[in-house]
Amino acid sequence: MIRFENVTKVYKSGTVAVRNVSLDIQKGEFVFIVGPSGSGKTTCIRMLLREELPDRGRIWVAGREIIHMPKWRVPYLRRNVGCVFQDFRLLPNKTVFQNVAFALEVIGRPKSVVDTQVPQVLDLVGLAKKRDNLPSELSGGEQQRVAVARAFVNRPLILLADEPTGNLDPGTSQGIMRLLDRINRTGTTVLIATHDAALVDWMRRRVVELDQGTVVRDQARGVYGIDAATGPVPRTEVAARRS
Amino acid sequence: MPLSADYIVRETTTNLWRNRLMTIAAVLTVAVSLALVGAALLLKQGAANAEVDWQRGVQVTVWMKPTASTSEINAVRSELKQLPYVHGCAFWSQAQDYHEASKLLPASEFSALTVGSTPSSFRCTPNQPQYATAVYDRFVHQPGVYAVGSPNSAIHAMEETITILQWVFVSVALVLLLSAGVLILNTIRMAIFARRREVSVMKLVGATNWFIRLPFMSEGLVQGLIGSAVAAAIVFGLHALLNGLANPDQPGSVLSQMRLSGWQLFSTDAVVVVIGVLIGSIGSAVAIRRFLEV
Repeated sequence: MIRFENVTKVYKSGTVAVRNVSLDIQKGEFVFIVGPSGSGKTTCIRMLLREELPDRGRIWVAGREIIHMPKWRVPYLRRNVGCVFQDFRLLPNKTVFQNVAFALEVIGRPKSVVDTQVPQVLDLVGLAKKRDNLPSELSGGEQQRVAVARAFVNRPLILLADEPTGNLDPGTSQGIMRLLDRINRTGTTVLIATHDAALVDWMRRRVVELDQGTVVRDQARGVYGIDAATGPVPRTEVAARRS
Repeated sequence: MPLSADYIVRETTTNLWRNRLMTIAAVLTVAVSLALVGAALLLKQGAANAEVDWQRGVQVTVWMKPTASTSEINAVRSELKQLPYVHGCAFWSQAQDYHEASKLLPASEFSALTVGSTPSSFRCTPNQPQYATAVYDRFVHQPGVYAVGSPNSAIHAMEETITILQWVFVSVALVLLLSAGVLILNTIRMAIFARRREVSVMKLVGATNWFIRLPFMSEGLVQGLIGSAVAAAIVFGLHALLNGLANPDQPGSVLSQMRLSGWQLFSTDAVVVVIGVLIGSIGSAVAIRRFLEV
């Protein structure tokens, strides 16, 4: 579903954000990308959305090579890739319903589809009763749920999340993780960039660790730091476990 | 992706309302500048109408010296008859010209004139007004000819004045049009800034570039269109005013001669609207290209 092949990204300042990264993520996987600030997590997410282009290497998303994709096709790529951010990015003057509906309206979905799908997804994220509230009337966790609903309402093949719990308390963060897990169980591939160690340890899913732009660990059912019991698992072994 | 007219209308109206002060400024500048363009065009067409009128009655007068001999007069007469571009000539004797002068000249000047000192003349009508110059060139140095008179110089002086006026109008209008374009560009830029969050979400969820751009494009277009509609109304009013001022009892007055037809007014208004739409489109297109990254 997602494939990085020897991807390197160097910013104009000379900073190497991602160095020779190769990564395979299968359909329906739930993957954490972990690492300290500046390790290249966000750059990976941005490249998957084609907001950044790598300097070297190739990237496939949902079976399509996206580096050489013509610019006019990028919006259609993004319809298959939902995305959630730390700062929620909700529109403050629109209600919960309108925020979620906006994602369908701007891709030209008819009103009948909007009226069916938005209540369904609001039900999924547990905000059906707050559909007429403005974002300012919601807690941080609820706002992030709206953001997840907006990212998922179009039923994308992939859901990306960049530090989705960065602004939330641990309890609320677990709620968001449960929600993402539920979405993952519908068959959606979920990729989360985070440095929230507690959540990663709690979820026990595949962990890809980046350090200074390089993949230093790729572990199935891993934890944030190196697992004292099992130690780092080589990528070849991860692939073998998955198969 | 289907782009509904409803969406474009809704978004454009919202944008225009959010930036209403800038919108009013842009619309007024477009209106004033295009009204000047329209006025310049009216002036040009009016001048062309008047010129046709003026030249329709062009007559060339070949004045003979009072001392000119009969043979010199006959030579001029026969030469005029042979000219293919002269429609016809009438000979006015010294007595006839003296009689006419008694009506035209003030008494103080006329008292100095006698029949013997009055020149005889040939009053000729050329086939085309522009041949008046050819008649002038041919006879001005002819023996026995005192002077050749045609009203061309007066017509040219008036044409020159109108041309200068037109250039002044067009120059001022161009400067104003440029500022109107910049104002529209700035309005769109502000609209893009005000909606940057929405635009970023639109990009994130896969809205196509045209879906994002069109409301901004139509905003500039609407500003140009409203401005040009106001200008077209001003031009219409100006035309009505000038036609009202033209006194039908004085068909020879300049305003009567400049009177414009309905078709000329319609074509002027059409040009004004087209320029307005162009200014709006260009202003918004430049703003979108420079400030809206999609």
